[in-house]
Amino acid sequence: MYVELKNINKKFGDFKASDNVSFGIEKGKLIGLLGPSGSGKTTILRMIAGLENPDSGEIIIDGKVVNNIPASKREIGFVFQNYALFRYMTVYENIAFGLRVRKVDKKSTDKRVKELISLIGLEGLEKRYPSQLSGGQRQRVAFARALAPNPQLLLLDEPFAAIDAKVRKELRSWLKEMIEKLGVTSIFVTHDQDEAIEVADEIIITNKGRIEQIGTPLEIYQNPQTAFSASFFGLTSFLEDYQKFHTFEKIEGAETAIVRPEFVKVTKKTEFQKYKSSVSEGVVERVSFRGDNIELKVRTNETVLTAKRGLDEQSISVGEKVDVLIYRIFVTVKEKTYLLENQSLKENSIVI
Amino acid sequence: MHENKIGSRFVKWLLICVSILFIFLMLVLPLITVISEAFRSGWETYKQAVTDEYTIKAALLTVEATLFAVIINTIFGVFAAWTITKFHFKGKKLLTTLIDIPVTVSPIIAGLIYVLTFGRQSFLYPYLKELDIDIVFAIPGIVLATIFVTFPFISRELIPVLEAQGTDEEEAAALMGARGTTIFRRITFPHIKWAFLYGIVLCTARAMGEFGAVSVLSGHLRGKTNTLPLHVEILFNEFKYVPAFAVSSILVMMAIIILVIRSVVEYIGKKET
Repeated sequence: MYVELKNINKKFGDFKASDNVSFGIEKGKLIGLLGPSGSGKTTILRMIAGLENPDSGEIIIDGKVVNNIPASKREIGFVFQNYALFRYMTVYENIAFGLRVRKVDKKSTDKRVKELISLIGLEGLEKRYPSQLSGGQRQRVAFARALAPNPQLLLLDEPFAAIDAKVRKELRSWLKEMIEKLGVTSIFVTHDQDEAIEVADEIIITNKGRIEQIGTPLEIYQNPQTAFSASFFGLTSFLEDYQKFHTFEKIEGAETAIVRPEFVKVTKKTEFQKYKSSVSEGVVERVSFRGDNIELKVRTNETVLTAKRGLDEQSISVGEKVDVLIYRIFVTVKEKTYLLENQSLKENSIVI
Repeated sequence: MHENKIGSRFVKWLLICVSILFIFLMLVLPLITVISEAFRSGWETYKQAVTDEYTIKAALLTVEATLFAVIINTIFGVFAAWTITKFHFKGKKLLTTLIDIPVTVSPIIAGLIYVLTFGRQSFLYPYLKELDIDIVFAIPGIVLATIFVTFPFISRELIPVLEAQGTDEEEAAALMGARGTTIFRRITFPHIKWAFLYGIVLCTARAMGEFGAVSVLSGHLRGKTNTLPLHVEILFNEFKYVPAFAVSSILVMMAIIILVIRSVVEYIGKKET
């Protein structure tokens, strides 16, 4: 493990920002720290950087315990949420700053800065001040500035939060490409699940100061280990009592059941439904056009479920009675999550 | 709608007239009086009053006290503003309030406080005497009083600017390995430069004109502990009106110079940001 956190605790007054946090990161990986605001993800990042000190626990970087090493000696690149570019310095000076304070000679500084400016594609804008740049350009400068002294570890705090939606998508793939190209171990913080899925090699889900799950985006999506990670991805609906829906195995002590839109099939009464015996009847409450699909809110057994239908399927109107089939659900028992398949589907496959 | 417009126009001119009248009565008229009184007996008398030995000594003392006050308050002001905006600690609110005391307390009281602290009744007096340090009725007392009165000017200018800036840029620089002095020189100072200069200008203006606290501590020793404002008072009390106004005009001119500098600083500062 290149970066390792062992039993980290951190309190701000009465607020527990980190509650026994432990995880490890391999060299060269791009990690996404994902969680809702207030979940302690930024605190973790700031502790790794040395901008905050943990109350207890160890932070290990490259085999060395760094708890007592000041931020300036950890050789970490940090991209701030609002970039924190030096506003009274030009783009060139911003990028050169880290090299100058390290007393790197003029020639090498100049060479490195020019190299980075061409890497971020801002040639010709060297003499601009941060206030004269667009959001995306500022982000690139912040990125180049953090990379200039060749850090072994790059930390990014909500790197895309301050950029408008369209540019954000572009920057995401740009950043992922850059980091892959340079091979620098990176950790970025985000509250946006799409961003984490798209950019990260591995995701660490945080909630209330704890780590909920660590894994690749696919692993977390398919195999959520806690109720929180199951509910954090996608537009999830919760079932108070899943036994009201047909043919699911009963589990002792089951608390809530979580349903994702892709687990639900909504059919019109006039349409063919193969598993007619397992459907529940529902009433459509809302129909919304979502670009490449239609999103439906359907009230079934006193629960509102979110489902999707293709644009090529017959249209459904509000108030219409429909059949609702749930393929599978996540059931949580205490902190564990189980995936349950609809049994009628299994039986059928045996027959065939 | 139409009536409303006329109403607002009327209010506008009324307010402008009131303001101009007020400024004329309270500021312009007295200023004109000072200058005209100063030159009433002609240029020669004016020159004589201004180049009088005691006047020059008083002017030099005023400059000396102002310089000390500005330098010391600048250093203190930067430190205080830096501490208050960049660190979190207990009692921060109290410290912020304490810094403001000099503007809320009457200068006379400030003077008395120092007389009581360093004068003959004080328990410190024997030690000071032993070290041969005179504070009350001597130049150090005047400097102290001036420092006290102009205490909050620079930090008050800096605190809002530093607060608005936040600590991100400093943190970023620190992460890259920059030392405190480098961070201050390259990141913080460029940001507070204009507020800082403005604070110095205000502090200088206030220090030059200080009367109350200095009056209590000086002892009015002509040629020794007399500052310009005190010298004006003495001349006035001796019914030497023309010299009194002539000396006042020096203070007025100094104030005008400071005001011009202030406007220039403000103008350049605004243009740059």
